[in-house]
Amino acid sequence: MNAQQILEYIKQHCTADDWTITINEKDSHETRFAQNSITQHIAGSNIEVALQVSFGDKTGVGNINQTDAESIKNLIETAETMAKLNQPDPEFMPSCPAADLPQVLNRSEATLQLAPQEMVELVRQSIANGEKHPAQVSGMTEKHRYYSILCTSNGFYGECESTEFGHSMTMKKDAVETKVAYSGKDYARFDLNQWLDQLNSQFNSLSAPHVFEPERIAVILRPAAVQEFIGYMGWMMSRRYADEGITPYTDKLGTDFFGSNFSMVSTLKDDELYASPYFHGGIPSVEFDWVKRGSLFTLPTDRFWAKKTGSSPSTSYNLFIPGDGVSEEEMMKKAGRGIIINNFWYIRTVDMKSGEFTGMTRDGVLYFEDGIIRHAINNLRWNEIPHEATRRILASGVPILTSPDTKVPAMLIADFNFVDKTDF
Amino acid sequence: MKYLDIAIETALAQGAGYADIRIQRDTSQVIYLLNRSIKYAVNDVEHGYGIRVFKGGAWGFAHCNRFDDRTVADTARRACEIAALSAKVKKGAGLTLAPERSYIATYKTPVAIDPFDISMREKVDLMLEVNRTMLNYDGIRQAVFYLIIHKCEKLFASTLGTRLDLTTQLVDPMITATAVWEGDSQSRTFDEGGRATGWEWIQALDLTDKAKQIAEEALIKVKADTLGEEQRRTLILDPNHLGLTMHESVGHPTELDRVLGWEADFAGISFATPEKLGNYQYGSPIVNFMGDNTLAEGLATNAFDDDGVPAQKWFIIKDGILKEYGSTRDTAPQIGLAHSRGCNRATSYYNMPINRIPNLYLQPGKEPLTPAEMIAATDDGVYIQGRGSFSIDQHRINFQFGGDFFWEIKDGKLVRPLKKVLYKSCNPEFWNACDAICDERFFRPFGVINCGKGQPGQTGRMTHGAAPARFRNIRVGGSQ
Repeated sequence: MNAQQILEYIKQHCTADDWTITINEKDSHETRFAQNSITQHIAGSNIEVALQVSFGDKTGVGNINQTDAESIKNLIETAETMAKLNQPDPEFMPSCPAADLPQVLNRSEATLQLAPQEMVELVRQSIANGEKHPAQVSGMTEKHRYYSILCTSNGFYGECESTEFGHSMTMKKDAVETKVAYSGKDYARFDLNQWLDQLNSQFNSLSAPHVFEPERIAVILRPAAVQEFIGYMGWMMSRRYADEGITPYTDKLGTDFFGSNFSMVSTLKDDELYASPYFHGGIPSVEFDWVKRGSLFTLPTDRFWAKKTGSSPSTSYNLFIPGDGVSEEEMMKKAGRGIIINNFWYIRTVDMKSGEFTGMTRDGVLYFEDGIIRHAINNLRWNEIPHEATRRILASGVPILTSPDTKVPAMLIADFNFVDKTDF
Repeated sequence: MKYLDIAIETALAQGAGYADIRIQRDTSQVIYLLNRSIKYAVNDVEHGYGIRVFKGGAWGFAHCNRFDDRTVADTARRACEIAALSAKVKKGAGLTLAPERSYIATYKTPVAIDPFDISMREKVDLMLEVNRTMLNYDGIRQAVFYLIIHKCEKLFASTLGTRLDLTTQLVDPMITATAVWEGDSQSRTFDEGGRATGWEWIQALDLTDKAKQIAEEALIKVKADTLGEEQRRTLILDPNHLGLTMHESVGHPTELDRVLGWEADFAGISFATPEKLGNYQYGSPIVNFMGDNTLAEGLATNAFDDDGVPAQKWFIIKDGILKEYGSTRDTAPQIGLAHSRGCNRATSYYNMPINRIPNLYLQPGKEPLTPAEMIAATDDGVYIQGRGSFSIDQHRINFQFGGDFFWEIKDGKLVRPLKKVLYKSCNPEFWNACDAICDERFFRPFGVINCGKGQPGQTGRMTHGAAPARFRNIRVGGSQ
């Protein structure tokens, strides 16, 4: 059965009081390379049909990836049996009603038309560039097409088609190791030569690293590092967890909890960014200000908690951080002395209540003094509280797409807390 | 099953040097209970097949969820086409595969009570009782019970003539109590990481009693002192904590694909390079690590891996010296190994298998030693239970770990509970600082069900194990 036939079948045969159907289709091609050779090469498509049902306030969910009538019949029986045998959910929420959805464009014809042979050619050119140094190149070239439908017994219907193209390259020779990566919905916006230039520039800047001992020092976080740093902080930003006293955001809504140079939004207005037209089972996406010039404006809130607290449901369907357009050279002059970080790695929570995280630098670290890059240095470990670090933002750059749903600028942050170093 | 033959015959007709098909059905049930609200109760079935073709020294892999003769043959042809494309970008003659013979075999995880036969009502009633028990403690603000049961059924055939019918199962209960007190929140978790066994394990665990323990310990923890400035101290680590430490600092560095640089773009590489085999002092002489995919109730335990290589048991570190890696048919020949150690595993049918950590454990000490005796023989240190914050660099050298519950040790006694403890160390400092390991009576296995690796990402499963062990002169202190 195709998607519409599955919907019709479930509508006709589901006996539950309330139901939500989600159908997700995915078609992918992934070319993985390492050490100047293709090591894995994968293609295929899949479908997931999820049915959530409820009898009164007892719920059950079934998921399958088969679409014949017998399988869909079993799916209905499974979800309904689970619900009937379940206990009532005191936080039950009925499915969403019909809604007007925003127009979004997440589909790129250029990405859809990209042929496997062209993807292999991108890999070949990436490796050929590495061999000139001579260095080992590893990475992945990938394209995906996603299509999803959400339909509820209360009248909601929404669908979304999206595409994604990605090309990453890690270049390594002896102690020099660095990476660039493009990931966005539109292949047409990708220029391999531009990314090879950036990779070569990063690679050439990293020769002969010096030993650098950890200290509190100014950092310029390039956009990929900002995405990691702020992204992990975002995982903690839950209205419920704040209200229950578990995270740093307890009683902080409406206060100047972040630095005044820091804002953070989810937006439908940037055509480079992926944006789902709906969330939480059928709530239309709108503009969300999470942090506005330092003030904690909104925290992501599920439907139940929104009802309980008299607020509106919200979710971070993408992340945009505005910047001041300050160049890296200007940032170095402003700080005088500091380090430039290409990316972070293995960020993990250290303490939930204080909002402290740890992580490592990755893909190259540069030391600058008197406003000029002096030399590369070893990788470092840091322990930091990101929301406190936003109070030390001295400047920010132009927002850059770092993943299909994230666009952030480089940031100059004072007194970043490095606590250890590693041997490379 | 005819689809096995169609795939193999089609691949051979297209000129494959080697090919296999893995028809895989994963059935899982996940129930997530937050306080008294069932946030998620789902039954998930994922069924499909992946066809892997090795041709001209390169791989092609195609997957599909539709079962009919023509689609299976088309998928095999697609895998061949992809392999031919891959072969256009290879080093020299490309990859080679370690030799292997054919097998016809069946394997099933020993299960006394199949968790899928336990009704939803019985599971939810148990979970509600556990969460109610935690929430009955004044100061416990949040109770979480996460239950996962999983069954993986595979039919595997290869051009070597291998035909395998493999079924593995696991069950994993995880409960967490979070206490809030005077502006702080701290949690305590019971999580043994899952076991390849049946519901009989759940019955034996007495989870309501565990709920009381972790609720009480969460309340102790939220009111505990912090440790203060970082100093060189002695650490005693319990087996659950060690499970994660060895996973990150021994398991990943000894995956041969990382050693070869195949994960350089994302998961990272390894400092434990081949010239160190047989001569590198990874740990002190009492440190012995086994790779063992025959381990009873191990999450990586199976009769064969996804290369069709039989499960094995071998030393990875012996008497402190790096001896060997976990390997696959395509990684082993790269460093001249004659055979794969059988570590190639895929998560789902649509994943191409990758070099995975095997079940990996620290052998217990050979001399009789109890945890109480170990603590009594420690003047000044910290005892860490359970898993907490963990972070390690992409070469697997520098790491920082937290834990779930902490006690300060003074003059051979546990004197006060602590919170927010971190330690920092690196390879090879850490395992060379190990000066005592309790004996086999105190050995405990702990699973990992969420080992992220690969591009596209996969979630691997394996079991670790240890008896409590002591480490001298490690940097230990409190967080900010």
